[in-house]
Amino acid sequence: MQDGKLKLDRRRLLLTGAAAIVAPAVLSAPAFAITPDEIKKRGKVIIGIQGDNPPWGYVDSSGKQQGLDSDVGLLYGKYLGVPVEFMPLEVANRIPALTSGRVDILFATMAMFPERAKAVQFSKPYAANIILLIAPKSVEVKSPADMAKLKSIGVARAAAQDTQVTKNAPAGTNILRFDGDAASIQALVSGQVEGLGGNMFYIDRLEEAKPGYWENKIEFQRIYNGACTRLGEKEMNASVNAFLDQIKANGELGKVYEKWMKRPLPPMPETVEGVSFVAS
Amino acid sequence: MNYKLDFAPVIDALPALLLGCLGTLWLALAGMALAIVIGIGGVVLRDSRIKLFRWLVIGFVELIRNTPFLVQIYFIFFALPLAGVRLDPTPTAIIALGVNGGAYAIEIIRGGVQSINKGQVEAGLALGLHKLSVFRFIVLKPALRAVFPSLASQFVLLTLTTSIASAVSAYELTSVAKRVESDSFRSFEVYGVVTLMYLVMSWIVMNILNFISSRYISTYPVK
Amino acid sequence: MGKGEFLFLLQGLKWTVVLAIVSFLCGTITGLAIALLRTSGYPAVERTTAGYIALFQGTPLLMQLFVVYYALALYGLKIDAWIAVAIGFTLHASAYLGEIWRGSIEAVPRGQVEAAKALSLNYFWRTKDVVLPQAFRISLPATIGFLVQLIKGTSLAAFVGFTELTRAGTMVSNQIFKPLLVFGIVGLMYFALCWPLSFFGSRLESKFAAATR
Repeated sequence: MQDGKLKLDRRRLLLTGAAAIVAPAVLSAPAFAITPDEIKKRGKVIIGIQGDNPPWGYVDSSGKQQGLDSDVGLLYGKYLGVPVEFMPLEVANRIPALTSGRVDILFATMAMFPERAKAVQFSKPYAANIILLIAPKSVEVKSPADMAKLKSIGVARAAAQDTQVTKNAPAGTNILRFDGDAASIQALVSGQVEGLGGNMFYIDRLEEAKPGYWENKIEFQRIYNGACTRLGEKEMNASVNAFLDQIKANGELGKVYEKWMKRPLPPMPETVEGVSFVAS
Repeated sequence: MNYKLDFAPVIDALPALLLGCLGTLWLALAGMALAIVIGIGGVVLRDSRIKLFRWLVIGFVELIRNTPFLVQIYFIFFALPLAGVRLDPTPTAIIALGVNGGAYAIEIIRGGVQSINKGQVEAGLALGLHKLSVFRFIVLKPALRAVFPSLASQFVLLTLTTSIASAVSAYELTSVAKRVESDSFRSFEVYGVVTLMYLVMSWIVMNILNFISSRYISTYPVK
Repeated sequence: MGKGEFLFLLQGLKWTVVLAIVSFLCGTITGLAIALLRTSGYPAVERTTAGYIALFQGTPLLMQLFVVYYALALYGLKIDAWIAVAIGFTLHASAYLGEIWRGSIEAVPRGQVEAAKALSLNYFWRTKDVVLPQAFRISLPATIGFLVQLIKGTSLAAFVGFTELTRAGTMVSNQIFKPLLVFGIVGLMYFALCWPLSFFGSRLESKFAAATR
């Protein structure tokens, strides 16, 4: 008799436990699409940015987000009229963070490539960059074939330099892929790799580590960076394009650009092959 | 806009992923071999008469067991070159795994060694066996037999720890998985499948070790 | 290394501690549920729970973090990355703690359970007042050992972009280019966190071992 009562108690405990585990799965509903109005209603915009890639996006030693993308992001927040919450992301995490709904928009050194345009919606370009190969001054590297002279080449996994080095390096080149710009630069500085794929600003950081040792060798491509929103979110795309038009016209973008890039804002192309700036 | 599951990129990448599994098993094997060597050596030094050796081993074990593997492998890969020791990703991973596993192996094997009855040692010496032979056949082998299950779990753990070696671009399953993920942006599908692959690998490793245990280790006559 | 950089490392240390504590506490609650399910006496439930435990013990923590991080997004739950990571560690902890406590629950002498049944204590009171207190004491060294593992495990949160101590170290090392110094300090900070716990755990273990002699 007591046993019967016991079994019921045990069952009840177990069922409640099971329900507690299953409930979150059942109660959720996918809802990634967002509009500027919803952002304004929510009261803040969550911007994905890079945390360790100066001068684009980096977190300084006091924990504050800095960089070109940071200033542009703050201007976007001002445009929308809401405060900005930055989410520093690893290189390989940028697109997944956007598509999974963790961030509303990316101002994260996102170079425009057709493959990426299949996964995210780019805005009009707001910055230009050059992807190149860095190697010691002592090694002569004039063309992609010369890359074979380097014992090993490091890149940040999934970054533009990863694609470029993989594409242009002769077969058999030892390419090491690291989880981010920071790790790949560390690999070069510590001598773990001889060459490094990167953008045109790496050399400034490398000069701090070992002045006069490395130089830019091969220019792989000139790329343009755009802000990214999710595919299909027409209002977000229209909003950020209008915002970029505005800060280009009133000179704010030029000012921020010169502050971080130490060079004037170059003219932006009207089109980039394989990438559309406007959501269709 | 909904996130539709799409396993096609994972299926396309299966050959590369399977090769990555081989890389993982190779790192685990080499790492475990080194770990056992360090383990036995550490046990010998741990009971040495020289205080310095004893404290070195104690310090080594405590240091390794109380710091994360990621920090250890970062240290070997990024920091040691500045001290003159530059190692490629694969040797770095093997040494990091061996050192890490070795610290735990020292404790495990030591536990086994201490459980050997002192009478056995005395009997062996009384029979005129050389000290080294006593250690090899009367102390070490039975101890290894006794702690084989613990060493086996350690081996499985080591196999799983190889995934961290992807941080220094060593060749194993997680590195391959990250490449597939960055090419396809199908994070959940890729990592979900790879997680199952690790599960299968650890199951296979466990079963192989159990087989070795029942056939070769447990049958070693003792006591 | 300047004061700013050192403070940044300390901030990372703070997040490491917070993440470890939150995961451990939540993992304790879920782990207890898992342990009780695992010893409930219903074969189907026990087998499912055993499968859950085997899943987390047979796969790398790094993979578990990735899958939880991206799976939570699939479920459509819009939550902070921080919370996603904490959930990942909590699930990991629940499986390991569940297994540790299952072992210690089963290590409580059967006589205790039989005596409690004879005193007509039902499952709830039997478990709460007789089995668990004894199991808890038996499990202390292993539980503390796992807490150390969890603290070390938080270093993997670096891979999903969470700035805990290890990631902070990588970022500082990338700014001042002194990896020997930076990772040395990071290692010492982890050691300072973990070693006292390990030491306490091993003292407990010898105390209990002495009691059984």
